[in-house]
Amino acid sequence: MSDYLLIQALNGLVIGVIYAVIAAGLTVIFSILKIVNFAHGEVYMMGGYFAYFAIALAGLPPLAAVLVAMATAFLLSVAVERTLLTPLYSPTTERKGDYGILITFGISIFLRNIALIIYGPYPLRPPSFWPGVLVIGGLTMTWDRVFAAGAGIAMLVGLLWFMNRTIWGEALNAVSQSRESAAIVGINPQRFYMLAFGLGGALAGGAGALVGPIYSLSPSMGLLPDTQAFAIVILGGMGSVSGSIIAGLLIGLSESMFVAVFPDPSRSLTYAQAFSLLVLMVVLLVRPTGLFGRVHTAME
Amino acid sequence: MLIEARGLTRNFGGITAVDHLDLAVRQGELVGLIGPNGSGKTTTINLLTGHLAPASGHILVRDTPADGLSASAFAARKVGRTFQITQLFSRMSVLENMLVPGLARAHSTWAEATRAARRHLEFLGLSHLEKLQAKNLSGGQQKLLELGRALMLDPEILFLDEPFAGVNPFLRDEIIVLIQTLHAEGRSFVVVDHDIEAIQRLVQRLVVMARGAKIADGTVDEVRANQEVLLAYAGV
Amino acid sequence: MRASQIAVFVVLGALVLAFPLLVNAYWLTVAILALFYAIVAASWALLAGYAGQFSFGHMAFVSLGAYTSGLLVMSFGVPIPLGMAAGVVLCAVVGAAIGYTCLRMRGPYLALFTVAFSEVLRIVIVSENEVTGGSGGLEVTPLFHTRSDAPYYYVGLVLLGVSLGLMVWLERSRWGLFFRAIRENEDAAAAAGVRVLRFRVLVFAITSSFAGLAGGFFGHYIGILTPDIGSVDQMGLVVAMAVIGGAESLYAATVGALLCEALVEALRSYEQWRLVIFGALLLLTIRFARNGLLALAYQAVRQRGLRGLVSRKAGS
Repeated sequence: MSDYLLIQALNGLVIGVIYAVIAAGLTVIFSILKIVNFAHGEVYMMGGYFAYFAIALAGLPPLAAVLVAMATAFLLSVAVERTLLTPLYSPTTERKGDYGILITFGISIFLRNIALIIYGPYPLRPPSFWPGVLVIGGLTMTWDRVFAAGAGIAMLVGLLWFMNRTIWGEALNAVSQSRESAAIVGINPQRFYMLAFGLGGALAGGAGALVGPIYSLSPSMGLLPDTQAFAIVILGGMGSVSGSIIAGLLIGLSESMFVAVFPDPSRSLTYAQAFSLLVLMVVLLVRPTGLFGRVHTAME
Repeated sequence: MLIEARGLTRNFGGITAVDHLDLAVRQGELVGLIGPNGSGKTTTINLLTGHLAPASGHILVRDTPADGLSASAFAARKVGRTFQITQLFSRMSVLENMLVPGLARAHSTWAEATRAARRHLEFLGLSHLEKLQAKNLSGGQQKLLELGRALMLDPEILFLDEPFAGVNPFLRDEIIVLIQTLHAEGRSFVVVDHDIEAIQRLVQRLVVMARGAKIADGTVDEVRANQEVLLAYAGV
Repeated sequence: MRASQIAVFVVLGALVLAFPLLVNAYWLTVAILALFYAIVAASWALLAGYAGQFSFGHMAFVSLGAYTSGLLVMSFGVPIPLGMAAGVVLCAVVGAAIGYTCLRMRGPYLALFTVAFSEVLRIVIVSENEVTGGSGGLEVTPLFHTRSDAPYYYVGLVLLGVSLGLMVWLERSRWGLFFRAIRENEDAAAAAGVRVLRFRVLVFAITSSFAGLAGGFFGHYIGILTPDIGSVDQMGLVVAMAVIGGAESLYAATVGALLCEALVEALRSYEQWRLVIFGALLLLTIRFARNGLLALAYQAVRQRGLRGLVSRKAGS
């Protein structure tokens, strides 16, 4: 019995890493563009499909496919940002907060339905990245999960390194703290909004790519992880990447444990989905500013 | 006492913005509240008008407890205020901005509220702008409109947060006259500002705050001679 | 009013009343659904556009109203009007609760919370399939047992008329002024003596009631309820209808819903592309015509007059 729980916990940590990647992307977008991006889950979904097609059509190896997915997600996000989000930086746009909510909500509806057309409504099970199972002692885990965890951790480490050790990352940080000051020292904020939104999207896309072989792909797969990512971002403190990582692991773990101990197995999976939604609702009620982070600053 | 703070304290994170403040304002007073930046003046106003809850201490309005009341409850008790950065209903017309407090009062009718609103607008010189959206007013006009909105509560006491900030000298003089006229009508004032010259022309009593505490309270001359005040402004 | 305007109104009125006699059964269905969406879109416009509360949980109340009435009627034999009334009351209570608990939430947080709430409700309905029929659907007694859908059309018309009437009356009252003040600036509204909590609770309770009413009507018309009616995609459709029409005007949102529903049906042959087209239309409207396309058209007509618009096109 405890072996089962341990496996569930490990699986929970794996999915926690994935959540952390999604949430980290959301955090980057939030802290620099100052909007809550409702379309994040759809970029995650697109990433999953991009990876699948990279393998199915171009025969790429798994790691390359994930990178291709991230690159494509980056480009998609930049395209969205340039065409639809620029009013958020213009002084003539009124009520930027409302605009951000509506436009990203609209983008999510649009992307989800485009996906329904292109990919069809039925779930798609991509082939395994690394077939087979890892066995250590009494514990088993599919290699796909191991790969996902490893790649996810690599992405997170890469992000932290980028944000804290490169000049681009420092510039992003500067822009997130004060747009005007950053402009005065010669940083072009516009370029960094593009970079931030693209980077956030790339992370989401990468997470989606990793998740495909584990949970299969469908056009509506982005909805739930999206709300989970929000819960994580808020819990971790909006604007804190490391906070999101810790919170992501926590939520992944507790979600898995919830499924494991839920008394009614026929309902455990569907109510597991409700679990993270309820976490989000509770977090929003109690601490809109999260546990680790800076207070939310409005755009106007 | 019209309004009284006893031992009022408020913290933000690790900083004590208001530190066991005792402040009492009588009916008919015109009080100036000054102090260096960050001394807690705006926080004091927010506490005394229900926009912030104190960590400890008590507030009394007309000698009855007002602890835990919301901002709208204070407004209903005829405690009015303006904001440091004007907070108007941008996409509503000037008249509508005035009608909101007018109609929020118990037992008010549209006719009465509209009459009162127009009366105040005329007093403030804004009548011709009645139909304009508030966001299209000039900065000075917006300040006047905010004052008008507070007047619609028929307030017995008005807290003005930096009414002279960023205002040209002509408008400043106009605002001084407006305050004096309203004071002569019987309304009490607590005016926060950094424009010491304007404050001195206006007030009889001056309260000085520094680092969340009251360091002086007396006539203008008394305060001017106070060493501690000079040191506070010098940043010591 | 001028004679010509009166004449226009009379003709329009006659057309509206005689509509079921003029169209086939398919378009009558479309019209009835359009009436349903109009009530939902208008009440959402009141909540989000007018009162500034961006809730994405509106369809959850439609679902709640529909299922409440449906379950009461099917399981306890409650007469339909009573069932619908119960749905409305439940939605008012739950809506009030949301308005109360979310008081501290501004903008995107409220949107997030209400999306989560909406999804949780949908998941509960799907999971408790013994009671609700789950994804398979719940059969619900129809309101009428006639061959033609015409009675539904007239009931829908009355419901829309009453709902719109109440909402317009609300907007013109002092409450409407307070809603707008809260939308513009909550702190200033409080300083002006507006009891923000009370009015937020009220606007949520009222608009949720209308959604519940529409839901009850929908359920007893369609005859079979599925949890999808409360899905985020349905919410997106309603948002699109209200925003494309004009989210800050009840009339624009209503007409927007009617036109959009007609458009949805007219594009039926395009299947899934319809929602894509709507999504694109929504994005374009938000991006380039924030007050809504109808508001844009209305302005153009006001500025140049109908004749001016036509002659401009002919001349150029």
